[in-house]
Amino acid sequence: MKERIGVYICHCGGNISDYVDVERVRQAVENDRGVVLAKTTVFACSDSNQNDMVDDIKKHNLDGVIVASCSPKLHLATFRSVTERGDLNKYTYVHTNIREQASWAHSDDKIGATEKAILLVKAAIAKSRYAEPLYPNQFEAEKTIAVIGAGISGMKAAVSLSDKNTSVILIEKENKVGGHTATWGPLAMSDEKGSDLSHRIYSDLLQRDNVTVLTGSEVISSKGSIGNFTLKVRKRAQQAGDPVETMEFNVGSVVVATGFDPYLPKAGEFGFSSYENVITLPDFKHLIDSFSGKYLEYRGKRINRIAYIYCVGSRQVDGENRYCSRYCCTSVIHAAIQAKKKFKEIYNFHFNRGIRTYGKQELLYAESLQQGDIYLQSFEDAPPQVYAENGKTKVKIKDVLTKEKELEIEADLVVLVTGMVPRADNSIGTMFKLPKGRDKFFNEVHMKLRPVETVIDGITIAGTCQGPKNIVESVNSALSAAAKSYSYISKGMLETEPIVAEVNTDLCAWCGKCAEACPFDAIGQKDVNGKQVAVINNSVCKGCGMCAPVCPPDAINLINYSSEEIMSMIEQLAGG
Amino acid sequence: MNEEREVLNYDALVVGGGIAGGEAALNLANTGYKVLLVEKDRSLGGKMILLSKVFPTLDCSACITTPKVSEIARHKNITIFTESEVTAIVKKSENNFTAQITKKPRYVRVEDCTACQLCEKACPVSVRDEYQFGLIGRKAAFIPFSIANPKAAAIDIENCTLCGACEKVCPTHCIDFTMETKYYELHAKTVVLATGFNLFDPLLIPRYGYGQYKNVITSMQMEREIAPTRPFNTILRPGDGKVPDRIAYVLCTGSRDATVGNPICSQICCMYSIKQAQLLMGALPMADVTIYYINIRSFGKGFEEFYQQAKGMGVNFVKGKIGKIAEKENGDLILRYEDINEGVVREAEHDMVVLSVGVKSNPTVGKIFGRGELKLDPFNFVAQEDLLGSPSKTSIDGVFVAGTASAPMDIPDSILSAGSASSEAISYLIQHQEL
Repeated sequence: MKERIGVYICHCGGNISDYVDVERVRQAVENDRGVVLAKTTVFACSDSNQNDMVDDIKKHNLDGVIVASCSPKLHLATFRSVTERGDLNKYTYVHTNIREQASWAHSDDKIGATEKAILLVKAAIAKSRYAEPLYPNQFEAEKTIAVIGAGISGMKAAVSLSDKNTSVILIEKENKVGGHTATWGPLAMSDEKGSDLSHRIYSDLLQRDNVTVLTGSEVISSKGSIGNFTLKVRKRAQQAGDPVETMEFNVGSVVVATGFDPYLPKAGEFGFSSYENVITLPDFKHLIDSFSGKYLEYRGKRINRIAYIYCVGSRQVDGENRYCSRYCCTSVIHAAIQAKKKFKEIYNFHFNRGIRTYGKQELLYAESLQQGDIYLQSFEDAPPQVYAENGKTKVKIKDVLTKEKELEIEADLVVLVTGMVPRADNSIGTMFKLPKGRDKFFNEVHMKLRPVETVIDGITIAGTCQGPKNIVESVNSALSAAAKSYSYISKGMLETEPIVAEVNTDLCAWCGKCAEACPFDAIGQKDVNGKQVAVINNSVCKGCGMCAPVCPPDAINLINYSSEEIMSMIEQLAGG
Repeated sequence: MNEEREVLNYDALVVGGGIAGGEAALNLANTGYKVLLVEKDRSLGGKMILLSKVFPTLDCSACITTPKVSEIARHKNITIFTESEVTAIVKKSENNFTAQITKKPRYVRVEDCTACQLCEKACPVSVRDEYQFGLIGRKAAFIPFSIANPKAAAIDIENCTLCGACEKVCPTHCIDFTMETKYYELHAKTVVLATGFNLFDPLLIPRYGYGQYKNVITSMQMEREIAPTRPFNTILRPGDGKVPDRIAYVLCTGSRDATVGNPICSQICCMYSIKQAQLLMGALPMADVTIYYINIRSFGKGFEEFYQQAKGMGVNFVKGKIGKIAEKENGDLILRYEDINEGVVREAEHDMVVLSVGVKSNPTVGKIFGRGELKLDPFNFVAQEDLLGSPSKTSIDGVFVAGTASAPMDIPDSILSAGSASSEAISYLIQHQEL
């Protein structure tokens, strides 16, 4: 039972103190049983305050610490480490959230927000009295890393890990490496051919004896968790009659680099599949890369006038894809410049919704304007229309740039500037239980500061499987993911949280309800003295607590959240 | 002058202690390498630590930056030099760099200072506070800002009158006017350049009246007005302290503008302006906020949705570039622009104007190396020699670039770029390990 508890109530600049009377909260709890110190602080997380807390722990001989501030997602780890620096066990620290749960939720009711904050802090004090020291589970990590997907991102991640003297298994579903990029000609911003870029990275990979490249292969199952994943990989028969090979690999971490699918327009969308001269941006890029001749031709017909329709499958007002695909403006403008340079008498008409050539890519937009490309713009409520008249394909727009004048262009070729969509095949996401965002791409832990980590420990995400990106951004993401995955295994030993479920084998009568409720497959069955009981795999258990309430005889206890602790908190929240 | 140099040895030198440099330093340090992080300002955290909230999550910037900064500051493998500049780096051979570092005196012993602010109260000198972007004043003996790291007083010797008032009141006697500039020679095996960016100086566009009309401010000043550690505790216009109710944003101030030598797009201004507009709608529910733009570039993850959300909240988006701003007698402002939708030239009246200033390179980074050794691009950003293959490689093997030192970018892209640079630096260190 803790008897010397220190309580810190944070202003969070004004994020909390604008709505919660933090001084009143302090006064309301300072005389609670076990509390020897109660302070307010402007930013509890600031370095200077952290140092003060360490001093307080030592000076006042505290045995429990509580910070009432923001969400534990943000600062639980911060204050656990402060507690540790004060020579207390870090799991005796109790965090309570009076920002998201009090000040932000009740910004219209300052008195109510303050009262709620007081109860939350009192509940935390009740929990703190029972907090026991805990010790993390330690185990050895596998030193090999798997990379799934051998596009530019996956290959760069593999090169980077190989450079760090780490063995890599690079697994590619297709029979060839290089993904979409390997099929491109000259690329925006460098004019290097996509095929050359892919080839030079792949050649580099082939020089390395710590990289195993498996093409035509798919991961069919994964077991285990950070440090020790077992992946089952199936390699398709390379030739008729060859056997299908199934292999197993033990890896410490996995970099997921499964890429994107190009958006495929629906039949009739801007004339797609209605008119034979309406094609997608990838088709157009392949056409200008592969066609040689003075004049551009498509299906035997000469092409002079090209209409580009932007944001097809992106920024949809009614459709599913609300997001911007980021790479397409630059990509199509670069392709239009290439077409005009390579072939005679090309006239480019860009039907756009606002050009987004961000950063230095703006220079390409300027170049295209200088070579005489025409830009016409509409807003989202009035997209351009593609139709046929007298055997000609025409595009019509209410052009924002000329006072919404209705303008019409006759086009020999209509290019639908299609964006990126998440892979239709989500088998890898399902296998690792990777969460997805609103846009259905894989979600990172924190959009701003942790863009390659996922909530599944040991799994990182690289490249466009996380969201649309150009090649530069994909490579940066791949190298970041490689560094992060490497950091998991580089020390050889790993620690996991001790906050896991535990089974009272005397009470357990194995009904299997807990195993059904567990989202992480962490619960199995075993024989103890002739009786079947549930057993928890500590390295897989996340301590989510889903199993505890479904257990009929109440045989499962979640460490750090015992019934005693929770009941005492509820008592406080209910008004003592 | 005493120019004796103390010799230091580290695995990696990281130049710049903003979010990119900090992230790169952490990645290297977490892998076990010893890092020297050199920052020219008085605090870590760069520009991010001074922001209000970040787009599109609306996380409080201080709340996510301070723990990162504090992790950097406490890391056993990272040594931090603030108020220090790397004046020269010479590559002797692979894995062997020598850097000259100048550490300016703070005139305060940081380890003894408790940030009690008594010196601040005693100091008779008032000057403009650069950390509040000139909105308010500060003393010559001062704590840079409330969440600065290190949080300790500093003496602004340029403005100090040497009256000694601060020294007399300091309870820990940590103020020391005898401190001198220190010089170091560093031996490091790899270098990460994270020297960040400069904000565009709006004085270069006199027709917008910045510096002349009091109610024309920069976006960074507005950022401070809406930050949790804001100077006024409300939003007000500097001219007369009135709470504004017709606020205008002028996008592309100093970006996409060849007339000021910066034809490129700054990549962040659309989004931070939309973010500020959303925050203003929350803080001043009755105010009208209008954003004048050429194109809205909400291209990142969740950005387009954030833009649509702002429209839904009632932020007024007008397609048209502001030509000129004039001031009325009462301090209100008249904005002349081409309303593209209507196809006419119009004038609109606002009581406060925010210039969404762009990103410019920090050209000092080029001067650290011998003539022409570190290649820069035409805009004086660090050139990326293999842009698509290895974006963080520079023209010097073993020297990597992180964050906005190479191009305009937002926070997640800076983090990815820093991850990329540190990843390459770790690879370089492992590949060149002495056997």
